[in-house]
Amino acid sequence: MVKKIVYKESITAVYFILPTLLLILIVIVFPICKAIYESLHKSTLILLKPKFVGFGNYILILKSAIFWQIFVHSIIWTVTVVIFQFLIGIGSALLLNKDFPGRDIIRGIIILPWIIPGVVAGLIWILLYDPQLGMINRILYDMGFIHKYITWLSNRKLALLAVIIVAIWKGFPFSSLMYIAALQGIDSELIDAATIDGAGKWRQFINIIIPTISPVIRITLLLTFIWTFNYFEIIYIMTNGGPGNSTHIFPTYIYNVSFRQFRFGLASSYAIITFLILLIFSLFYMKELERREILD
Amino acid sequence: MLSFKKTVSFMNILKYFLIVLLLVFVLFPFIYMVSTSLKSEPDQFRSPPVFFPHRIFFDNYKQALEPKFVRYFLNSFIITLSTTFLVIFVSIFSSYAFSRLKFIGRKFVLKFIILTQLFPLVVIIIPMYMVFAKIHLIDTYISLIIAYLSFTVPVGVWILRGFFKGIPYSLEEAAMVDGCTRLQAFLKVVLPLARPGISATSVYIFIVTWQEFMFALTFLSDQKMRTLPVGILDFIRQYGINWGGLMAASTLITIPVFIIFLILQKQFIAGLTQGSIKG
Repeated sequence: MVKKIVYKESITAVYFILPTLLLILIVIVFPICKAIYESLHKSTLILLKPKFVGFGNYILILKSAIFWQIFVHSIIWTVTVVIFQFLIGIGSALLLNKDFPGRDIIRGIIILPWIIPGVVAGLIWILLYDPQLGMINRILYDMGFIHKYITWLSNRKLALLAVIIVAIWKGFPFSSLMYIAALQGIDSELIDAATIDGAGKWRQFINIIIPTISPVIRITLLLTFIWTFNYFEIIYIMTNGGPGNSTHIFPTYIYNVSFRQFRFGLASSYAIITFLILLIFSLFYMKELERREILD
Repeated sequence: MLSFKKTVSFMNILKYFLIVLLLVFVLFPFIYMVSTSLKSEPDQFRSPPVFFPHRIFFDNYKQALEPKFVRYFLNSFIITLSTTFLVIFVSIFSSYAFSRLKFIGRKFVLKFIILTQLFPLVVIIIPMYMVFAKIHLIDTYISLIIAYLSFTVPVGVWILRGFFKGIPYSLEEAAMVDGCTRLQAFLKVVLPLARPGISATSVYIFIVTWQEFMFALTFLSDQKMRTLPVGILDFIRQYGINWGGLMAASTLITIPVFIIFLILQKQFIAGLTQGSIKG
């Protein structure tokens, strides 16, 4: 009987999911297969017929110094951005959780960086960082923190920090939103009971709030990790990986290899490697989803 | 008692101080964007810079509303709205199936759909570009809409599925007992109830598509076809950046998404967690 229902529903389900499946096959599965194929070939603009090289591209990449340099940048970039988005996200969610006059407006305002195009964000910050015209130098100078104007984006030591700050600013509102929504789901009686028992704010935060919203925290951390790792616009527009590759992360470097140097084969291998790095994290994510039976 | 009150007011002061700090962090770049958009040329290039213009100057907005920028706006709207509509249309059916029907391979397909979210889009852009170039789809709306489906359909399915799970099963069962088919029950009973979820999902897809830059930069070489995020780069010229015009255009790009977000904020916040967290 149960089997019969499953079979009958399978037929109905086919009609419901067929369009989605077809689309996914065309716009995701096919391109990925083609990318894997390309990654095994050497193809450039002048080389009209791609030449099969096996894992040649991969070996070339793993042996190159630039790969490891970009790997390190990507990790620094991703981890720093994710940690600060988490801290600011949860801090702002706690601040904006309790009702006070103007709260809804403030909630609406703090979302602004997240909804503007990344290019616009990058451009605004290019102006802010501008050595001569930018407000950042002027304010730091007037307050006495620096003694001469700094060229933020063309300084090898500072450029990565500069773009990281922009990425934190651009993306933290998403974390805020997730944590605001999660905090709304906490039973207020729990907090009241803890207050009556004399638990301070900090104890309440550690012992009640964090454990209750930890599923949301985990998923938000993972989503922001993946998005940041794959984030392209800000670095492309602000430094395009420079000065001297000091701010290249995987997406910007791959884009350059493919659409500046037109080495599609090599770029595809880079892209597959990037995916494999993320896959390690996604496996952990899948386990988490299964453990919590979200897929049922 | 007195000391208790003192700590309370201290906590309050600290709280408001932190809120102000947060607002400054968020708003400072925006205020500078708007203020630069209102600066005349001498004010734009003053060094050290001035925060506010000496005289409010609207000419930058005239530049940002030139016919070619109006065209970019139009392109962005057409592409964003078509993508959003298509994604919703396709994913309401499949997300419903994923939330309700027990079928063979359901978990596998669902898992796969989530996995696709983890692919770097650069993996997809290279092969797509090669194919589109071959079949002459470069410089068309369709090329971008197809490309955008690759990262919006999975999210659409995932968020909507959360909403459908929140709608009691008994309602459509009753409808089916009364003689409705599965499809009729879905269209007449479930879909109207899912309207908040559908608008929350649409907002998310609208925001993500409106921002998109990498595909637009790669697939559109004809100036007339450009979308806004690529089009505003016109203000970056060989001899320097026209900051006034650039910031005026940036201000104009921000307004539509902000308005849409403000209107649907509550549903959107509810939708985010419902879609991604609840089983």
